[in-house]
Order: sequence, then structure tokens, then C-alpha cells
Amino acid sequence: MAKPNGARRVVVTGMGVVSPIGTTVDEFWAGMRASKSGVGPIEGFPPEDLKVLIAAQIKGWDHRSRLRHFQRDKIIMHADRYSWFAAAAADEAVKMAGLNVPFDEPYRAACIIGSGAGGLVTFEKAYRDLFIENKRATHPLTLLRIIGSSAAAHVGIEFGIRGPTFATCSACSTATHAIGVGRDYIQHGMVDVAVVGASESVINYGTMKAWQALHVLSPEGIFPFSKKRNGTVLGEGAGILVLEELEHAKARGARILCELAGYGMTSDAKDMVNPGIEGPREAMRLALDEAGVPGTEIQYLNAHGTATAINDENETNAIKELYGKHAYKLAISSTKSMHGHPLGAGGGLEAVACIKAMQENWVPPTIGLDDPDPKCDLDYVPNVGRDLQVTYTMSNSFAFGGLNTSLVFGPAPA
Amino acid sequence: MDEVATKIIEILKKHMKEPRDDISLQTALTDLKIESLDLAMIVFDIEDTFGIEIPYNANEDVEDFKTVGSVVDRVKSLMAEGPAAAKA
Repeated sequence: MAKPNGARRVVVTGMGVVSPIGTTVDEFWAGMRASKSGVGPIEGFPPEDLKVLIAAQIKGWDHRSRLRHFQRDKIIMHADRYSWFAAAAADEAVKMAGLNVPFDEPYRAACIIGSGAGGLVTFEKAYRDLFIENKRATHPLTLLRIIGSSAAAHVGIEFGIRGPTFATCSACSTATHAIGVGRDYIQHGMVDVAVVGASESVINYGTMKAWQALHVLSPEGIFPFSKKRNGTVLGEGAGILVLEELEHAKARGARILCELAGYGMTSDAKDMVNPGIEGPREAMRLALDEAGVPGTEIQYLNAHGTATAINDENETNAIKELYGKHAYKLAISSTKSMHGHPLGAGGGLEAVACIKAMQENWVPPTIGLDDPDPKCDLDYVPNVGRDLQVTYTMSNSFAFGGLNTSLVFGPAPA
Repeated sequence: MDEVATKIIEILKKHMKEPRDDISLQTALTDLKIESLDLAMIVFDIEDTFGIEIPYNANEDVEDFKTVGSVVDRVKSLMAEGPAAAKA
């Protein structure tokens, strides 16, 4: 059935994750069940003079064995790490959805996989080669590795997706914008299936220096909503969903995980780094309005929760302004406390956390929260997750530049 | 086969999905199923190995890249010209 306004309904039929606390959906969820922290000492490059020496990195993950079965994409092994993450997460999502590969109706499918920064690790290597090593040329694949649309292109090639294929780019809201845009394309009848989300892998010397210079990284850890919070911790990974038009999913007998019921996006149009309250509140309101449910129907909210001083306080206030008294009944958590801040990919990982919470009626915790900031006085599910009947969830992503996005997931339509 | 040819064939094999052992100077590059992207990587490797620069544009069909032998000849002539000439 279409929505009362005649709109086509969009459901989720597959999801995939590569994260510092687990490199499949099952491992990722097991990590959350165990209140696992993915944060540790930086590895993979000499830290030289860095002052911040921690990050949430994916360690010991072998892209060669994970992507060995890829058939159509001949150069995936030569791609940037961010494309490997996207490819692995998309592979898991497409398999879960049970879609034939290559896709049966290739022009009726979209592949929208964003990245906040593309192949920055490749970029740094190329510039080191040129400017420090005095090499006469960059590696021939440097350009293809760097471009921010290469993850979307690689995934599109492997799975045979021939409809709209591109990347979104909106810093920490990148994945959520991609999910929303894919949702719109299905709702408006442009496509029936969309592989959406984002991937990020930027942890290198130059990135750490740039973030360090902005003074928003914590040298100790990521402690959202806590009194001791003193900045975020960079992470990496990919989160990908397969979205599908409801009747299309039903017709092929797909297992429907949930409905993507609402999507809201706004911009503060005010400040590059200081988030507002109004913009995030309105993004959440738009998502709720579109889902057609009152705020009281939401049981779990996956917060943006970066553990910067201002984000957590303003997000708390925005939630209070929108939800009123129900704000105090909501189970809210920042899963970034466990998987770190994977920048553009954050909304993808967190959408998966929301959907798992609905599947298992269990909400993940905010770890490292022993002593909450008095200004952050909501229920952030401190330290350990808990059983909770979850029918509707909301996922927030708020980016530098004041770019706000919010999603509402609801039960699979009857 | 001389050292230059042997090294070039090694580089070609490195970039082939299914390396063959029957590559001779007469073998056409098209028979090795080398695509444009592979060729860019092969050129890069050859330049690194022999310390030369090969004037090569992926948009043009180049006589020098028809057979293994023509690549070997081109590399030898660039090596003879020396690094200064190769830059021109």
C-alpha cells in the first residue's frame, strides 16, 4: 500500500557495515552488546609530532580475502581503502537483500555512496612521493583512488547498477544525505532499488594534523554527554543500506527489515563549526512529520553525539525543544562512544545500529558515561545497553557547516 | 632475449590477470588482454625500472605499443637518448 498521500513506500532490505568494533553487521552488533570500544593507539604511519595519538581504526582487516570473490570490478584491489570499505559493506547489504547480481533491472537501481573526503590517504602518499621523495610521477591510479565518487563507481560496477550513481558530500551528514536522496528517488518512482550510504578512511598524518589544528580532537577518548568530554575521536568505516520500494520487495519475497519512514534535512546557514539548535530541531521535526508519527512513538534515538562540548549540549537542547516531556523518556545513545567518529560514514553505521535495535528490541549504550554533564540530562543509556521494545527509531547526523539530517525508521508495513 | 626485453616481459606478466610463459618479441599487446588502465601502470613500472620517461598518451594509438618488441625498441632508444632527452 502507498502512503495516504499516494507516495511510494521505501523499505530497507539489506545492510552492511565495516567498523572498528566489527567488520560485519553481526560483529558490529556483538561489539555494541559488549560495550566494546574501537579506540586505540594510532597505527599504520609514524605519528611524528602528533599530539593526539588515538583513533578508532579498523585493524587486521584483510581486503584481499574479503573482496576476493568480486568479479566485474577488475581493479577493486588497487582502489583506495575507503572504496574497499564501501565495497565490503555493499557486498554484505546486497547479499542480505538477496538481490541477483548483476541487478536484474539495472536502470531501475541507484548507487549513492558518499564520502566526506574521498581517498585522502592516497592523496597524502602521492604528495609525499612528489614533494618529499622527489619521485617523477604519482602512481597511475592515484586520481581514480582519490576521487570522492570512486566508492560509488566501484560498487556500481561490481553489482551492475546503471541508474543514478554518484557520491554525496556533506562532512558528517554524508551518509544520511545519501540515504535520504536514495529514498527520494525511490519514492518519486525514478528507481525501485537503491544502494546507499557512505564510506570514510582518512586517518593519516595530514588529517590528524588538520583536525588537531581545529582543536576538536580528544587526546584521551570519546565520551559523549559526559562531564569529562573534551572532543571527538576520528574513526573510519562504511555503512550501507539497500533501500527498496515496498511492493518491489514484496513481489520478490524479500525479507523487509524496516521502513525508512521519514527523512529531514536543514541547514543552519550560520556558522562553520558551531552547531545551532533550531536547524537540528527542524531536521528532526521534518523527519517525524514525514513519518507521520508523533514524537512519543519514537523509543530510541541514535544521537550525532560527537563528544565535542557544544554538539552534545546543543543536540540535547534540540531534542528537548522538539520532543518536550518525551525527551526524558527517550532512550538516546551515541554509538560513536564505541565506533568513534567515522565522519561521512557515521550516519550509515548509525542507521544500521537503529535497525538492529528495532530487530532485537535492545538499545545500544553510550560508553564512558560515568559522570554526565549536568547540561546533558537525558537518558543516554550509560555504559551498558538494555532491552527495550523498539518500534520507531530516529538517527541524527549534524555536520560541520551546520548541515543537519535526520532519519526515522519504522516497522515493516503490513 | 636480452636483459631489457626480459625485464619488460616480467613487468607485463606482473600486470596480467593470467600471466603466460609464451610471450615473445613478436607478441602483440592486444593478445595479452592489456587494457588502457593496465597500460598506464605498465608504462609507470617501465619508467621506474629504467629511469626514463616514455611519451605516452592514452588517447592515441601508438606504434611503439603494438608488440612486445616495439616496446623494447622504444625503451632502448629512450635509454640511449639519456634522461635529458627523455624529458623533452
